[in-house]
Order: sequence, then structure tokens, then C-alpha cells
Amino acid sequence: MECRVLSIQSHVVRGYVGNKSASFPLQVLGFEVDSINSVQFSNHTGYSHWKGQVLTADELHVLYEGIKLNNVHHYDYVLTGYTRDTSFLEMVVDIVQELKRANPNLVYVCDPVLGDHGSMYVPQNLHPVYKNKVVPVADIITPNQFEAELLTGKNISTEKDAVEVMDLLHAMGPDTVVITSSDLPSRLGDRFLVSLGSQRSVLPDGSRTTQRVRIEVPKVDAVFVGTGDLFAAMLLAWTHHYPNDLKTACEKTFSVMHHVIQRTISYAHELAGPGRRPSPPQLELRMVQSKADIEDPAIVMEATVIS
Amino acid sequence: MELKWMECRVLSIQSHVVRGYVGNKSATFPLQVLGFEVDSINSVQFSNHTGYAHWKGQVLTAEELNVLYEGIKLNNVNHYDYVLTGYSRDTSFLEMVVDIVQELKKANSKLVYVCDPVMGDHGAMYVPENLLPVYRDKVVPVADILTPNQFEAELLTGRKINTEEDAIEVMDLLHQMGPETVVLTSSNLPSKHGDQFLVALGSQKIGKIHSQKIRMEIPKVDAVFVGTGDLFAAMLLAWTHHHPKDLKTACEKTVSVMHHVIKRTISYANEMAGPGKRPSPAQLELRMVQSKADIENPAIAVEAMVL
Repeated sequence: MECRVLSIQSHVVRGYVGNKSASFPLQVLGFEVDSINSVQFSNHTGYSHWKGQVLTADELHVLYEGIKLNNVHHYDYVLTGYTRDTSFLEMVVDIVQELKRANPNLVYVCDPVLGDHGSMYVPQNLHPVYKNKVVPVADIITPNQFEAELLTGKNISTEKDAVEVMDLLHAMGPDTVVITSSDLPSRLGDRFLVSLGSQRSVLPDGSRTTQRVRIEVPKVDAVFVGTGDLFAAMLLAWTHHYPNDLKTACEKTFSVMHHVIQRTISYAHELAGPGRRPSPPQLELRMVQSKADIEDPAIVMEATVIS
Repeated sequence: MELKWMECRVLSIQSHVVRGYVGNKSATFPLQVLGFEVDSINSVQFSNHTGYAHWKGQVLTAEELNVLYEGIKLNNVNHYDYVLTGYSRDTSFLEMVVDIVQELKKANSKLVYVCDPVMGDHGAMYVPENLLPVYRDKVVPVADILTPNQFEAELLTGRKINTEEDAIEVMDLLHQMGPETVVLTSSNLPSKHGDQFLVALGSQKIGKIHSQKIRMEIPKVDAVFVGTGDLFAAMLLAWTHHHPKDLKTACEKTVSVMHHVIKRTISYANEMAGPGKRPSPAQLELRMVQSKADIENPAIAVEAMVL
């Protein structure tokens, strides 16, 4: 398989977020991963301390220029996640547009990281950039419920609302939308959260069809960092292998997440000791230890096709 | 039976390239595939290695390196089993690396510092001359495993190598300077198998007086690869970890991995270039992700002889 991904995300010296979270699993699955590190920090910002340096929009452009000058700016995928800087994000859009001219089949997988649980955790001025510039050039997006609501201006209280929001997002650009988590009540009770996905495609006869899926995902009693980045990377991989079958792509992606998270939480509790809450360093994803699950995830949850 | 996972953390301080496999890009994936936790500090971020027609990017200063290390230290996670370094162009950066290694050794007296003292090859230096005294007087004395080529070994010891005896004396001199394990990764010594082979030698101290010395005849390849030295040092780290008192086996595995990766790379490069054409630097990038199985479990392709 010759498949080259350009991933523009954070780098942390220690731990698994951003490019550290996305690269290894994609490489293990045989993807060539070119990575531009948008920052280099000692560790993610959930630790007590963190230090490091950020890349400016200009420096991003310089790196891209180097690739272009060598005439190797040919990618099958672009992958982006957490960003705090509007000019950086706008430079990313310029790069994506140019790469799409070089390869019209390029797929841009975008995690529109804006916030969660009702509040933004990036500067507010990123919202219009995502809405007006980024999402329109994205092909696959992975918003959570809050981000989906922000981008469309519509609240989600029922599954019907969620389906309408995903349709609105399709109209903005991406043919594939996965709402990675929501507050919708799960059929399996309150230990589960609901995720939804929607994929629009054109049939051979020219007509449009939309496959919609719903997954009940077991909740975990811990705060993980980097799981969204792993999710987007694995959704890239599994939609690559199942481009017209969102059900299977989601089952594989959510199953990998489950295995990695289970392994991580076990280990974290072992390190923390009985009765103690694990610390951020202890909760770092057990990525290299999950190689076999990444390569061939046992399916542990089913996606239901909904109308 | 559940095998307890190997807990082994490496701090690798090397270059990062967006595209291709040198420095940290060359070292990280193979070590992760073998189950090592790899924390990586990127000493530079370039679009690609400097053998291409063009390259662009940014360098990390010694001060910025210190800031990143401070972040790790403030979180009390400055505990490593290995440090790995390679190509450097800056004396103050190198001196900061030495400070960090010394501090990490205070935190863990068993820490093993694997150092590729990159200075030049084929009789010429390709880093600034003022790096030599820093390597000789500060770096090598704190190194535990050293992977110089013949030229670098001669530079560090001030002695020329014309015969195998000379090489043995030079490796013993290097032991006296610090490292218990020395591998002369390539030399001009005549091979028993003829001029399509080069000779590599290794020496590992056993106790205070004795050492195991080995010799390998390695098939030459008609191409210029970049990043192979970085892969070599990373794999020597891995295989000496698994075979700490058996340099023969550690070297056989390391050199064999190199062999498989290089063969796969040259095949692919020639296929991309087309008949009768010399492959370009872009085409000669190591086929790293494609070589995962060889990295995990290298079939022995080259045997080492105990001297």
C-alpha cells in the first residue's frame, strides 16, 4: 500500500498527543507519515508543568516550501488537530488547497478542536476560521457534540437533531462526519455514551446516498489526553480500508480506542496503587504496548445503521 | 501466561525531518515497534535531509533544549534507561546534551548513553572542526556505547587504522576514554570476502581487563543512503539491551536489520527510478514502515566472528 499522510500536529517530548499519538499507529498500519510539528513541548498541558516552543505560520510555510521545492508535495491525506492560532490554521488551509490541486483525490481529515462540555478551550476567534475556511475544505471531520453545535449553530437534544446537524455539516463540505461523543442517552444505560457517524456518497447511477451509524461507547472514569488525536488517525486508516462502509470503519476505530484505553487505565491504576487517582504521566496512552490491537483490532462494539 | 511488558524508556535527541528517515524519524519507529518508550527531543525540524536539492527549516538552540528538559524535570519524569544521540552541528548544543546526560545518570546510575559521534567519513569532516574536542573530551567520556566509523575513531584517538591490529588498539583506546561498547561501523580494512564487502568491528569490555571482540564482513551497496547510521545506533541500542553480554548476537541482529531495510530500499528505489537511472535522494528514503517485520524479528543475514 503506497499511502502518504501529511500530519500537522503538536509534538511532545514525552507522551502521546498530536503527532506522537497519530504517527506510530499510522506507521504500524503501513502508512507513510510526513509530520510537521506545530509545537514542541516537553509534555501535554494537563501535567503540572509544561515548557517548549511553538511554530509560527511563517515557519510552517517555510517547511512546506522545502517539500514543494523538492517536488515531493504529493499526499493522499492531510491530518490536523489541536491548534490555537488563527494564522497558523489559515496557512494550513492554504497548504491543503494547494495539495488538493496537486492531487484532487486528497482526503483532508480534520479534527475541529474547539472545546467540550459546553465551553471553548481555544481562542474564540478560531471558530469563524474553522466554520468558514477549514471545514469547507475538509473531507472527514471528527467534532464532538459541542463542536458540531458550534459549527452549525444548532443544538443537539435528540438523535434527530444530531442527524440534522450532520447533514448541515455535509452541506458545509465534508462527506464524512463522526460526532465522536454526545450527551444523548444511550440504550445501554448511563455507563455508555453515544457516538454517531454519517457518510455521504454518490452511487454509480449519480444519485446520492447517506449511510448513518450509531455506536454505544463504554464510558471510562478517567481523563485521557491524546485519544481524540488517536481517533482521527485511526478513522483515517479505517476509512481508507473501508471507504464506502462507515459502519465497519467506525467499528474498527472505536474498537482500537477501547483496547488502548483499557490497557492504559489498567496500567495507570497499577502504577497509582489502590484507592489513588492516577496522575497525567501515569495516564499516558499505552501506545507501543497496543501495537497488536492497532494492527488488527478485535471488534468489541457494533455500529447500528440508522435511517 | 501474561508476559510482563518490558519497561524501557529512551530519550532520543536528534533531528526531525518532515519527510523521510533520518535522526529521530529513523530511530523512533523501529524502537517503538520493538516495545521501547521513546521520548524524543527534536534538535532541528527540516523539510527533509540535506542530501536533497533543497531543504528548509528551523534549529533548536542549546537554550531551547534546556527549556524542554526543564519541563520534563519539573514534572519529575526525568527518568530514562537510555539516551541516544547522533548528528549535531553545534558545540553549545552538544555541551548541553552532556549536562543532561550527566544529570540523568545521577537520577539513574544504570543509564546507558548510546552515542553516534558523527563527525565525518572517508577522510573528511562534515561538521564544524570545533566539535572534535567536545566529542573527545566531554561526550565520549560519558558515553557507554559508541558507534564511530573508521574516520571518527581515528579522529577521536589520534591514531590511524591500517590493519585489524590497529583497529583493536583504537577500540581499546576508546574503551579507556569511557564507553564499554564500541562498534566500528565501517572501515577500509580489506575484507576476506573481497572488495564487495566492508569490514566492521566491535569490542565490548567484560570486567576490567578483558573484552569480547568481533568482526563482520558486510556486503557493500552501490548507493548513498542517509539515515542508516541513525537506524544502526537505534538498533544497536535495542539488541544490546536484549543481549547485554553478547556483542556477537547484538551485532548480528543489528547488521541484519540494516541489511533487510537497505535491500528493500534499494529495490524500491531502482524500481521508482526506472532502468538505467540512478535513484534520487527522495527515492532512496529508507523503506522503514515496510520493514516492520524485519525490524521486529530480523533473520540473521550476516554472521559475526569472535576474534
